[in-house]
Amino acid sequence: MTAESHHPSYLTIWIWLVMLLLVGLVVFLLPIGKAMAIFLIFAVAAVKAFLVARYYMHLKSETVLVLAIAGLPVLLLIGMALTLVPDIVFNH
Amino acid sequence: MTSASMAAARTTDVMTGRVPSGKLGIWWFLASEIMTFGGLLASFVLCRFKAGGWEEQAAHVSTGIAAFNTLLLVTSSLTIVRAHAAAERGEREKAAKFLLYTVVLGLSFLSVKAYEYSGEIAHGFIPSAGLFWSFYYGLTGLHALHVFAGIVANFALYVAAHRVAVWPKVQQRVEYAGLYWHFVDIVWIFLFPLVYLS
Repeated sequence: MTAESHHPSYLTIWIWLVMLLLVGLVVFLLPIGKAMAIFLIFAVAAVKAFLVARYYMHLKSETVLVLAIAGLPVLLLIGMALTLVPDIVFNH
Repeated sequence: MTSASMAAARTTDVMTGRVPSGKLGIWWFLASEIMTFGGLLASFVLCRFKAGGWEEQAAHVSTGIAAFNTLLLVTSSLTIVRAHAAAERGEREKAAKFLLYTVVLGLSFLSVKAYEYSGEIAHGFIPSAGLFWSFYYGLTGLHALHVFAGIVANFALYVAAHRVAVWPKVQQRVEYAGLYWHFVDIVWIFLFPLVYLS
């Protein structure tokens, strides 16, 4: 997809990415529970990855074929992670 | 093919929904890379839960240095996407400028990483020092190799941007190089919290 046809301000996305980086660091330093901190840190990372994929890689306006090629391995990964959860939970 | 005719061809691609073969190729490649890094990251998480003494080893990495490196890589994503936008508008010199910025930021990332490695190795934290360090060097080393490959590709495009006769044939590759570079950025976005913050 063309970069010009659908992009918001790339600088705005960059500012969001930097702000989210700082949020992740603040959460890391906050005296909150470890499980909650890890959850928040990875939620912030997921949002950052989403912003890069959607706006910098232009997945927002890509064809179904490209979305399928990009999405299928991500779904497989999520499936693999879910499959590993019982192993982690019951053997830890 | 001239710049104008290439731009017209790309517009046709957009209107018909046809994906250029080069872009299809890079997305197939990225799909395989998702599985490669995803498998490694899943192994890291599983071993972290199962192996003891992990947090003591992980406490020796430098979060500040890694955060600075994250800033460098995120900024390089901005410069490469602006190179892409400039290439599509046919602004060859501007595209070259942003490609050069991306190369410099990539080299800065690798330099910081080399500094970080040297400090860790000097303190005896080599890959065989423990399971965490094996993963640490494996994951960040593989990522650094990908950064290096991206730098080579971006620099080749930067050189091509200075050759007026060659540029129309390669200007669309700025988008492909950009897609790869953004993927490398996304991998680091997950590596950073996994290795340094958790």
